[in-house]
Amino acid sequence: MTAITPTATSPTPRDFDAIELSILWSRLISIVDEAGTTLQRTAFSSVTRESADFAVVLMDTQGQSLAQSSVSVPSFLGVLPFLVKALLRDHFPPEQWQPGDVVITNDPWLCAGHKPDIGIVSPIFYGQTPEGHPRLIGFIGCIAHSPDIGGTLWGANARDFYEEGLYIPPMKLFDAGRRNETLFRLIQTNVRAPQQTLGDILAQVAANDQGIRSLLRLMDEYGLTEIDTLGAHIIAASEKAMRDAIRQAPDGTYHAEYEADGDGLNHPVRLKCALTIRGDEIWVDYTGTSPAHPLAINAVLNYVFAYTAYPIKCVFSPEVPNNEGSFRPIHVWAPEGCLLNAQKPAPLGARNVTGNLLYAPVMLALSQAVPERVQADCGAAVWVMVLSGRHDDGREFVEYLFLAGGYGGRKGLPGEPTLCYPTNVANVPVEVFENDAPVLVLEKKLIPGSGGAGQYPGGAGQRFAYQNIGQHPIHISNVTEKIRHQAYGLFGGKTGRRGRLYVLTPQGKRRFTPPKGHDTLLPGETLVMELPGGGGYGAPQATKRYRPATPSAHPQHPQHG
Amino acid sequence: MKLGIDIGGTFTDLVLLDEGSGRMVLGKTLTTYPDPLQGILNGVEQIMHDSGVSLHSIGVIVHGTTLVTNAVIERKGARTALLTTAGFEDVLEIGREMRYDIYDLFLTMPKPLVPRSLRIGLRQRMDKNGRVLTPLDLTEVEQVADRLVRRGVQSVAVSFLHAFANPEHEQAVGDLLRRKYPYVAVSLSSEVLPEIREYERTSATAMNAYVQPLTQDYLRRLRRALTERGFQGEIYIMNSAGRLTTLEGAQRFPIQLLESGPAGGTMAGVFFQRQLTAAGNDVSQLLAFDMGGTTAKASMVRQGQPEITHHFEAARERRFKKGSGLPVRIPVIDMIEIGAGGGSIARLDALGLLTVGPDSAASQPGPACYGRGGQWPTVTDADLVLGFLNEHYFLGGTMPLRRDLAEEAIEKHIARPLGIRVEEAAWGIHRVVNENMANAARVHILEKGLDPRPFTMMAFGGAGPVHAFAVARLLGLSRLIVPGGAGVLSALGFLVSPIATEAIFSHVSRLDRMDWASINSRMAEMEHRGRTFLQEAGVTANQIHVHRVAEMRYAGQGHDITVPLPSGTLSADSLPAITYNFEQEYTLRYGRVLPHMPIESVTWRIVVSGPSPQASLHQQVKGAVSQQAQKGTRPAFFGKTWLEVPVLDRYAMPAEQRFNGPCIIEEFESTTVVGPDAVVWRDSFGNLIIEMS
Repeated sequence: MTAITPTATSPTPRDFDAIELSILWSRLISIVDEAGTTLQRTAFSSVTRESADFAVVLMDTQGQSLAQSSVSVPSFLGVLPFLVKALLRDHFPPEQWQPGDVVITNDPWLCAGHKPDIGIVSPIFYGQTPEGHPRLIGFIGCIAHSPDIGGTLWGANARDFYEEGLYIPPMKLFDAGRRNETLFRLIQTNVRAPQQTLGDILAQVAANDQGIRSLLRLMDEYGLTEIDTLGAHIIAASEKAMRDAIRQAPDGTYHAEYEADGDGLNHPVRLKCALTIRGDEIWVDYTGTSPAHPLAINAVLNYVFAYTAYPIKCVFSPEVPNNEGSFRPIHVWAPEGCLLNAQKPAPLGARNVTGNLLYAPVMLALSQAVPERVQADCGAAVWVMVLSGRHDDGREFVEYLFLAGGYGGRKGLPGEPTLCYPTNVANVPVEVFENDAPVLVLEKKLIPGSGGAGQYPGGAGQRFAYQNIGQHPIHISNVTEKIRHQAYGLFGGKTGRRGRLYVLTPQGKRRFTPPKGHDTLLPGETLVMELPGGGGYGAPQATKRYRPATPSAHPQHPQHG
Repeated sequence: MKLGIDIGGTFTDLVLLDEGSGRMVLGKTLTTYPDPLQGILNGVEQIMHDSGVSLHSIGVIVHGTTLVTNAVIERKGARTALLTTAGFEDVLEIGREMRYDIYDLFLTMPKPLVPRSLRIGLRQRMDKNGRVLTPLDLTEVEQVADRLVRRGVQSVAVSFLHAFANPEHEQAVGDLLRRKYPYVAVSLSSEVLPEIREYERTSATAMNAYVQPLTQDYLRRLRRALTERGFQGEIYIMNSAGRLTTLEGAQRFPIQLLESGPAGGTMAGVFFQRQLTAAGNDVSQLLAFDMGGTTAKASMVRQGQPEITHHFEAARERRFKKGSGLPVRIPVIDMIEIGAGGGSIARLDALGLLTVGPDSAASQPGPACYGRGGQWPTVTDADLVLGFLNEHYFLGGTMPLRRDLAEEAIEKHIARPLGIRVEEAAWGIHRVVNENMANAARVHILEKGLDPRPFTMMAFGGAGPVHAFAVARLLGLSRLIVPGGAGVLSALGFLVSPIATEAIFSHVSRLDRMDWASINSRMAEMEHRGRTFLQEAGVTANQIHVHRVAEMRYAGQGHDITVPLPSGTLSADSLPAITYNFEQEYTLRYGRVLPHMPIESVTWRIVVSGPSPQASLHQQVKGAVSQQAQKGTRPAFFGKTWLEVPVLDRYAMPAEQRFNGPCIIEEFESTTVVGPDAVVWRDSFGNLIIEMS
């Protein structure tokens, strides 16, 4: 029988044939999916729930990822293994873990790049060591977006890290099964909506527990004593598949430069990327990218890795399950202190704005290597708007809105209207929005012709307008993109229409509202948002002449290295 | 007497039941295209002939059809227009703005059933409480209607914002359309699905409008054709929730029929559960497992009731991908479906792993062993190589199988690349597909907070009995039933389904701030409408059962759970009982409650149902093809080695006689595989019962 060579040692090495491996592997994925279902259904946070803004990952004793829940968003790719390795190295060495422990942290440099993302890690024990102690066989962890973490309201405007709420360094939330009441109390008293925030943290703990129970059943059923050996097989198989896929693409260094709104006013950002394919590995170097930005749109390196690896995976091996092996051949670098490798105390709150842009230069670079497998630029990664205020009867509300622009055109397919990439967030239904906040939505419809023309045109963006119909002002936090810039087309496809954002006063006058930042929507005022269209793919067929989409978006010639 | 008629893709099945004597006659005829009515009439003629019964002595006909599903999948519905609140014309196209596959750059979203040019916004607006902010302009409505009719529109869907809170504007548009253009079908969102969330409500309404004209036409012709042949009884239509509706109800809300066929399969579980319980068996929890050529489905029946869900999608872009279809939040039997059937293709993927499905060789070209040019090894090929299937007795010998081709395909694509023997590769295919089905079933049961082990599995479908034993083992079950009459199973289910109607309304409010007077009055009104509907369908008042539930959640959560409501008038005094029920459900699903968090309601539902039809149930057993129960033996592979196992003839098995596994039981439509450490017998109804130790 064929066996895949294990790369790790284990207490009781065991071989797996291709059939057993298929069965056990699919069972591990099923286990993290069960845990993910538990988390998604019990969470209060609307982003965790509706947008699957979470991930559950099963790891071996070294913190190497074996299986990640299938529905999770890209921002968490590779993040939990990074966290667990750091925990083992710098905080809790293997001998310090006990059954019933649960570790919590929201350290942006260890987790997903901003404080609302909370990581919860539980050790898994099974059987005993020769000395008679419970044997640590691995870890399960999950990360999810918290309803609130204190500090200034979420957005792009915090001036530094400290304004962005409570910082929880890696600490035991449960110590051998005992609640850390001090920590619970500290969290409870530092966040808005403490019930919901703590409820979500407990939902994360419960998700880990669910995963552990299912894993232990599997161990019993198949007579496994550890999972490192199985993990080594899984990792090796995924790594090989990823490397095989990369090897198909032509070697070379492909350059791309991409300018984005930044603050949307007079402080744009520039992303520069040199993507090198050599053999079966990919290096992405962001040297030349803008320095850290005064707005809270700075990203940390592990988050940058996730959003760089994601489009690469979509292009090369969308079907390979996520684990340690699928990311080993990908290397990402950005100089320290730049927008993509921010250091304390740079503010990070809206780091998604920047992370969500990375696919654009990466796709542009890849379009030179594998032109048939990429898509043109999308209108919006997603626009986010946070509203807070009071209903007429005095009740407080906080509401998150997510809006999609047009999807980019692809070889053989036009871009869909109103779909995001790389983010994937369901919208809030108009009727739910009007129940949750004192607003009246005046319009939500597609903007015809907003997608870039092309052989496969870009998808349309949308127009969304709502009015404050309450008696109190509504505080709004805007996070938009492509107000100044446009989604690029590829291979002669045209750019998408740019977005617009303004307030209409009750007198019918237009007034400014910051593309990224806070504002107050007075009673009777209307906020109007026009979401950008996606870029087209291939020259429009009616036109014979080849015209590059925009100067900045025109693929540069690859420099073979 | 009662007649069940189920139209499937290939066959139209019929079951005639004499409730008095318990006598049952089964019939099967080819489904006819393009007009399935012809097939029905052929089948009716045949079964009347076989039974010697005349159509006018039949009191009730229960009918299920794939007409509606096919019309949506094939996009063969009416030219339909959609009227919305101005500014929201694109609701169907914008959808929920969510990709159903995050790694596939090349995904496509389902195209709306109504094109942009026929989606018209009207000036009108209500707020969240149903208060009119902008009145409806009937002159504008009339102009729009005239224009649409001139453009050949046959059906109109109307879906205004917050119409679930106040249907007045929709009703006014509906009245105008029905008065002026009585031949144009009209669907109002406040009638089709009066529930909050405009995309889902509009999607269901547009689909209802899209299929309404053809459903009306079909059902009217059915009624007429049967009446002409002497039928004087009632016709009921099977809906997706395992309930019956009247011809009138089906014509008003044809989307209810989307899943009527699969619902019949689960309701057959109710039929057999009742039959076995009557014979003294404990089968209070049943897992209906249906494995056909392309897919496997599993659903639960508990205490005689199927599990119901309201999360359903029609016409998915990708069949097994949640979120890739058009949402229709009607009540449907909660069923998981995965791409695992006899025709599912086995291959080694990019990782070198053995995968099975979800793609299928279907019936054309079919598995390699069909000898119709199929090159890829399938589950059926593996089952043949393992000795589970008999190449000379597939479909009763009407379709010889080619063992050499099955071996060749498995050898070439699986065994040789892995360096293993053909039977080991075949065993691998068998195990992987079983594992896929067991994983899906396990998650399905766990999502309800239930333990799979006490369930009894009922296996049907062509490949179901071949795989059921292994799947049941993986789930830790101890009893398996392979019912008789498997060939007409859905039609059997029709005969035990009650007449019922479900009504809903959305009212989002915290329980502690609930306007109970308004809730009571709306519930009373819905109950009254339900009772009237049932009484018109011939159910007497004292047989009517009312079941009320509300979908609730902790305020702020996005996912609702269904909570039973106490009977009688609700008030603040009902709060402890409702809270208790909520916490019970919540604990069942999530293992904890959140004390002090306020609870809120979203949607209120009321199901008004007639009695479940009772019948003493016997089956006609087909004649045995041999005198001996044991036809012979053949080698079969159960993992490590080949075993010489007995082959039994199902029709010749004496009732109640125990046989030890491993053994293989052959019948016309399928083959039942019984592994080691089990006993099997045929009960007096002709069901196979397998007890596993």
